[in-house]
Formats: sequence, C-alpha cells, structure tokens
Amino acid sequence: MAPSLLRRGRSLMTLGALACLLLAVIVQGRIEGERRGGSVHPLLYLPSGKFLKVMALGFDGLLADVLYLWSIQYYGNYDIKDRFDYLERIYEQVITELDPHYLDPYLVGALIMTAEARKPEMALKLLDKGVRANPDQWIMPFEAGFLCYNDLHDYRRAAVYFEMAMRVPGVHPLVHRFQAEMYDRAGDKSTSLKEWLEIYKTTTDPYVRGVAWNHVHDLKVDVDLADLKDAVSRFRDKEERAPRRLQEIVASGLLQALPRDPENGDYLYDPWSGEVRYRGVPILGR
Amino acid sequence: MLTRISAIALNTFREAIRHRILYLLLIFAVAMISFAQILSLLTVGSEEKIIKDFGLASIDVFGVLTAVFIGIGLVSREIEKRTVYTLLAKPIHRFEFVLGKYAGLSLTLLVNTTVMTAWFFLVLLIKGMFDARLGVAVLLLFFQFLLITALAVLFSCLSTPILASVMTLALYVIGHLLWSLDLLSARLSTEAGRILCRALYYVLPNLGNFDIKGEVVHGLTVAPGRLLWATLYLLLYGSAVLWTACAVFERKELQ
Repeated sequence: MAPSLLRRGRSLMTLGALACLLLAVIVQGRIEGERRGGSVHPLLYLPSGKFLKVMALGFDGLLADVLYLWSIQYYGNYDIKDRFDYLERIYEQVITELDPHYLDPYLVGALIMTAEARKPEMALKLLDKGVRANPDQWIMPFEAGFLCYNDLHDYRRAAVYFEMAMRVPGVHPLVHRFQAEMYDRAGDKSTSLKEWLEIYKTTTDPYVRGVAWNHVHDLKVDVDLADLKDAVSRFRDKEERAPRRLQEIVASGLLQALPRDPENGDYLYDPWSGEVRYRGVPILGR
Repeated sequence: MLTRISAIALNTFREAIRHRILYLLLIFAVAMISFAQILSLLTVGSEEKIIKDFGLASIDVFGVLTAVFIGIGLVSREIEKRTVYTLLAKPIHRFEFVLGKYAGLSLTLLVNTTVMTAWFFLVLLIKGMFDARLGVAVLLLFFQFLLITALAVLFSCLSTPILASVMTLALYVIGHLLWSLDLLSARLSTEAGRILCRALYYVLPNLGNFDIKGEVVHGLTVAPGRLLWATLYLLLYGSAVLWTACAVFERKELQ
C-alpha cells in the first residue's frame, strides 16, 4: 500500500476512534438522564454494612472512607430532593457498620439528621450506637447530650449523656459545665449547685471560675429560698401560725441552722405575708 | 546450597525489575501524593484517617497483585520457555530452584514494600500525621505477601499460570473470609457440618492474622503477642506450603 494511503487510513482510524468516544459520552449522558428520571432509588440496592464487611476482604476501613466521602458529596447536593430517604441506612447500617470506630460518620451523620433532615431521634439513635462502639470517646455522649439540650430541649436526658461523657478519662472540662447547667434547666437546682461548686473549686481558669461563681451565687439563693419557704410552710402546718422570725423555725427543730446568703447576710422575712426574700440581685438575672 | 539459592533469587529479582515492576511504585507515589492533596476538598474531618487507610490499602493491593501475578509465573514460565532445563542440567536440586525463585520474589516484594512505605511515611510526615505504629501494620502486610507468594509458587508448580492465578486469588479471598466460617459453624445444626467448618477454619491460610490496619489507624490497642504469633504462623504455614511446592516440583515430569 502506498505511504499516503496508509497515512490517510491511520488518520481515518484516529478520527473514527474519536467519533466513537464522543458518541459513547453522549450515550452515557442519556443513560444518566434515564437513571435520574427512573422510579427506583439509586440507593435501594446499596448492600447492608454487614454484607459489605464480608465483601471488603479486610478493606472495610477504606470502604467506609469511600462511602463517607461519597455521602458528604451526596448530602451536600441540594438538587436531590429525596436525599434524606436512606439517611439512616447510609450512616447507621452501612458506614458505621463497616467501621464502628470511625467517629466522623456518627458526628456528621447526626448533624445532617438533625440540622438538615430534622430527625433528631434518628440522630440520637446513631449517636447511641457510637457511644456503645466507642466507650472511650467522650465526644459521642457529649454530642448526644448537646442534641438533647439544643434540639429536643430534654434537659434531664441531656444531663444523663453529659454525666456519661464525664466518666470518660480525658474529657474536656466544658462538659462538666454543660452537665451542671442541664440540672439547673431540668429543675434540679441542688444537684446543679453541687456541680457548679465543684467546678468553682477545681478549675484553674480564672474565666471559668468567674462563670462558675455567678452560677453558684444564683443557685445558692434559689436553693436557700426554696428550703426556707418549705420550712415556713412546714412550721405553719405544725404550729398553725406563721413564724414571727425565721429563728423560730430553727428553735422548733425544723431547720438545723438558717442559711446565709452568698454575701453572708440574712435572708429577709415578712411575717405578715410569710414571704422570704433575698436582699440582693441575682447576677445572671434568671 | 545457600549460594545456589541466592544466585537463583538474584536472577529472579533482576527479572522482576526487567518486567518494569517498579512502574507500580511510580503509580503508587503519584496516587498517594495526589490523593493526599485533593482529599481536603472532598471530606469533612477524617483527613488523617482516610490518608492512612488509603496508604495501607494501596500497599496491600499493590503488594498482593505483585505477589500473585509474578508468583504464578515463576516456575511455570521457566518450564514453558524451557529455560528450566538449562538450569536443572547444572548441579542444582529442584527444591533449591523453587526456594530460590521464592526468595527472589520475596526480595522484589521487600524492595517494593520498602519504597511504597517510604513514600507513604513521607506524605504523612509532610502532613504531620506520622505514627510509628503504622510500621508494624506494614510489616504484617509484608508477612501476608510472603504467604501469598508461597501459595502462588505452589500453584505455579501445580498448574498453568491462569489456573494458578485463579487459585491464588481464591485463597486470598478465602483467607480474608475465614472469620465468617467461624460464624457459620455456630449457626449449623449438624455436628458434622460444624466439625468441617472448624477444620477448614484451621487448615486454610488465615490472612486475617496479618491485618491490623483498623486497630493501628484508630490508635486502638494491638495485643502485645500479635506480631509474634503472626510471625510464627507465617514461618510454619509458609514452610508447609513451600515444602509442598518443593515436593510437587520434585515429582514433576519435565520433558
């Protein structure tokens, strides 16, 4: 064959290959379009984590990474309207099943479930799994506690999680403050006072010490006033009259001693109305 | 004997280099560095964990592929090309030939793994993520390559390269799935089935013994005796496989 013919033949082959590749790209675009418009959800056939763990042949950590990276892109795409349909499956049944010690999927998954999908109970279930799989990580119960506090406003449940986090060695000191605050918000002011007092006594940070003092101050007033009001009420039941002075309550044996306010002054008592008051002003004003 | 084995080993190593096996290392280096660079764009947190997972998995995959695809041709290619006749005409025992071939590929794998690990550690050092315990994980991966190489050499003595690659890869898969046999035996109702599962569990090569990637990446405690037991297992199981390979090759009709 003549060289010019050979060259032309080669050029035609190259052009043919390029044309075929272009057509393949177009066809792929059509396939993608069909897939998007299809009735079957693309995640429907994602196998469970237990199955994938077997299939991973020791690369389960890497597979969890790949799925986690993919999930970040997938849940960051606001064009996918039904992206939250399989949220629990992706994070709870697949990624964290493949690698139970991988902390970020618990934390990021819970964040997406709460902030985006508005499913805080689902997020709590995921974090509970994280707590069980990683008992040495305080961040798991802390996140669960924060979710109960911030999203569910369930302060008693939050306090339980923060207490759980407190038991983990190396816990951040901030958790203790959250725990103390949750008891206050849940109405258990005595326990809250005890915790804030401990923070006040143990912290080395002057700022935290100041914050703790503010809480101790107001909580002590609240607890003292509640105790005094209760004692006045019990005195009234016993003697069938209001005490003329608070010292009478101590004399009757209903109180061992009268509490002093945080400034070491007496609480004010009005014998006519039976009301007990604090002479100062609460620092936090709550 | 050692001189003869080392001469064959060195020749096998040179042959592997001639097969451009080091190109794999270049791919590894480029992939590793590129991945580490683009990762920060793709993830929320976990960068360190993902880079470590990716690095260890890459060393694992490249090592296993090298062990399988070079190992399966070690003996059979020599027979096919008839170069084995020239070699065996010299005062060399057949078992020395097999052991030399095995040692040669092990040396190739050692160089391969060392260079890949050096790249991996360099990336980690640059990123400030280096953890010396990763070295133990890599060492156990290397032990795994040695066992797979022994299996590949055995199958290379037994059959054709294609069949040998299928059988070696099948054993690699089984070796990583043995823990499921243990689970299966607990669910079986018949005693015979349970005994069979237990027997297979102990007889087949357990490659899970060489996998501590997860523990190391997460900073979890690795049992102190793990490295020692894995070394002992490699020595015993690897020797059993290699001596079987030698016995098979000794009995092989070479015409």
